Amino acid sequence: MPKILIPTPLRQYAGNQSEVELSGGTVGELLDALSRQHAELRRHLYSDQGKLRSFVNVYVNDEDIRHLAKEATPVSAQDTISIVPSIAGGATAPAETATLSKEEILRYSRHLIIPEIGMEGQLKLKQAKVLLIGAGGLGSPLALYLAAAGVGRIGLVDFDVVDFTNLQRQVIHATADVGRKKLDSAIESMSAINPHVTLDRFDTALTSENALEILKDYDIVVDGTDNFPTRYLVNDACVLLGKPNVYGSIFRFEGQATVFAYRGGPCYRCLYPEPPPPGLVPSCAEGGVLGILPGLIGLVQATEAVKLITGIGEPLVGRLLLYDALAMRFRELKLRRDPECPVCGDHPTVRELIDYHQFCGVPRGGQAPAGLKEGEMDVTELKVKIDRGDRFILVDVREPHEFQICSIPGSVLIPLGELSKRTGELNPASEIVVHCKSGGRSARAVEFLKKSGFENVSNLAGGILAWSDKVDPRVPKY
Amino acid sequence: MIRIEKAAWAVIVGHARGAYPDECCGAMLGVSGVASIAVPLENSYHGSQTDRYEIRPEDLLAVDRQARREGLELIGIYHSHPDCDAYFSVTDLKNSCAWYSFVVVSIREGRFDHAKSFRPNADQTVAEPEDLAYPDLEESACQRS
Repeated sequence: MPKILIPTPLRQYAGNQSEVELSGGTVGELLDALSRQHAELRRHLYSDQGKLRSFVNVYVNDEDIRHLAKEATPVSAQDTISIVPSIAGGATAPAETATLSKEEILRYSRHLIIPEIGMEGQLKLKQAKVLLIGAGGLGSPLALYLAAAGVGRIGLVDFDVVDFTNLQRQVIHATADVGRKKLDSAIESMSAINPHVTLDRFDTALTSENALEILKDYDIVVDGTDNFPTRYLVNDACVLLGKPNVYGSIFRFEGQATVFAYRGGPCYRCLYPEPPPPGLVPSCAEGGVLGILPGLIGLVQATEAVKLITGIGEPLVGRLLLYDALAMRFRELKLRRDPECPVCGDHPTVRELIDYHQFCGVPRGGQAPAGLKEGEMDVTELKVKIDRGDRFILVDVREPHEFQICSIPGSVLIPLGELSKRTGELNPASEIVVHCKSGGRSARAVEFLKKSGFENVSNLAGGILAWSDKVDPRVPKY
Repeated sequence: MIRIEKAAWAVIVGHARGAYPDECCGAMLGVSGVASIAVPLENSYHGSQTDRYEIRPEDLLAVDRQARREGLELIGIYHSHPDCDAYFSVTDLKNSCAWYSFVVVSIREGRFDHAKSFRPNADQTVAEPEDLAYPDLEESACQRS
């Protein structure tokens, strides 16, 4: 019978035999018989997909089966089958990046004198490749500090333009940068802080089509995004590629941070299997955010990235850090990997990237104002109605603190949350126009009013922002 | 845990110094975590070998046969990192296997600096450091991890 020589470290899985005689006509049949006899051995030779692991070479006598008929290579009774791994490696880094220059030693001196970091840690930072998704609130402190810390290669993904409303928190951009690409402004600030860092520009939105290609060359991904489709996309891509995902999120005075998809730890979907219904969780643009908050959460993320790179400390894995700025308290929730998780569980059902806009139930890309939808009114039509003296009620469903910033003359303030209790204030026979900041909340108000028996209700498309753009530029935008 | 005996260690360090500034590679034979023989192998990587090495599977097969003949086991693979630390790089990890100890030897300016040993997992995603003991070639044995 043909004989299979068992590599020393695998003998413990083969009943401590150094060789096994089995019957079979081909290499594939022999290996299959072997791993059926010794189930533990199978894991070492085959991947979960049932393919021979990439480093496993099989020889029939002195011939590699890759040069014969692969697993269909016939074997006869006198043949000896050997299993040999492919082994290679190397320090990877080209010689010039494997050391620090005199100038770099001076620059990183305060790292080099910490024993836990030292030269070894600083070289790891220099050889590290980190991808930042988003150059906004979280991305600003992340990009500045990771560049300053000496992370050798930083990729930035962003397609947005600096806006006045960004400046209250996105400290990587200056007032003079308004109107410029965030990428240009961020990269300029980072290179000014540390010219030794290599910066990769990705002037695009992260999508299911490009995510794996963009992420694959980085060691660590840091999520600084502000929307659910991208968050699920980043998570799934990280799990599929086996890259840690350093997560942070912020809202008003509260923030969260953790490290997902790291060495068997949980992923974002273990925490939130399903996205919230569209519109339930307001974004920073809708709900506001304390400008300082992303600084703090972004730096928690930056700290975790540096710890992962240098391998020091206890990573924020399996723990969700919750921060409340008003109470000035940090809390921690334990997180566990969910064995039923569709992405990182024991039997994953998501094996490739999906359509995350559809998954989250939100429209793709920016609000394309491609004409009015049914039940919508344009701001110019509203202006004509007001000037003509038409009889109708203009309801503003924003919050009182927003009403203080600006309002449309003649409007009645009924915040969305109070609408169900205050419908009695509205006459069902009159025409009603509802508005909010940009049209989202007022659409929900219109839907509610129609269900409550109001027939002549319309939604002001684009809200008070459109009013400021097209009708009255004196109305401030916020 | 892997312990390397003096004769084997002298071969490894000599090989690493001789190959400097290129990387060298080889196999370690022994019994139950103690390496008594080091077998230098040819670095078969095509291209600059200052930061890469590759072992031909046929060479490893021959070493495995030698070990069997001598009643020893193939227990580890060594290679050198010229002018940088003895860490387990991504390249090392992606081209490793879980069956052996991987000893990395740091050689700086042609001289031995330090060494570490690692055990990669089956999926080649993580390599855990393992205790490594090697003799001080001048004096008595010392232990590092």
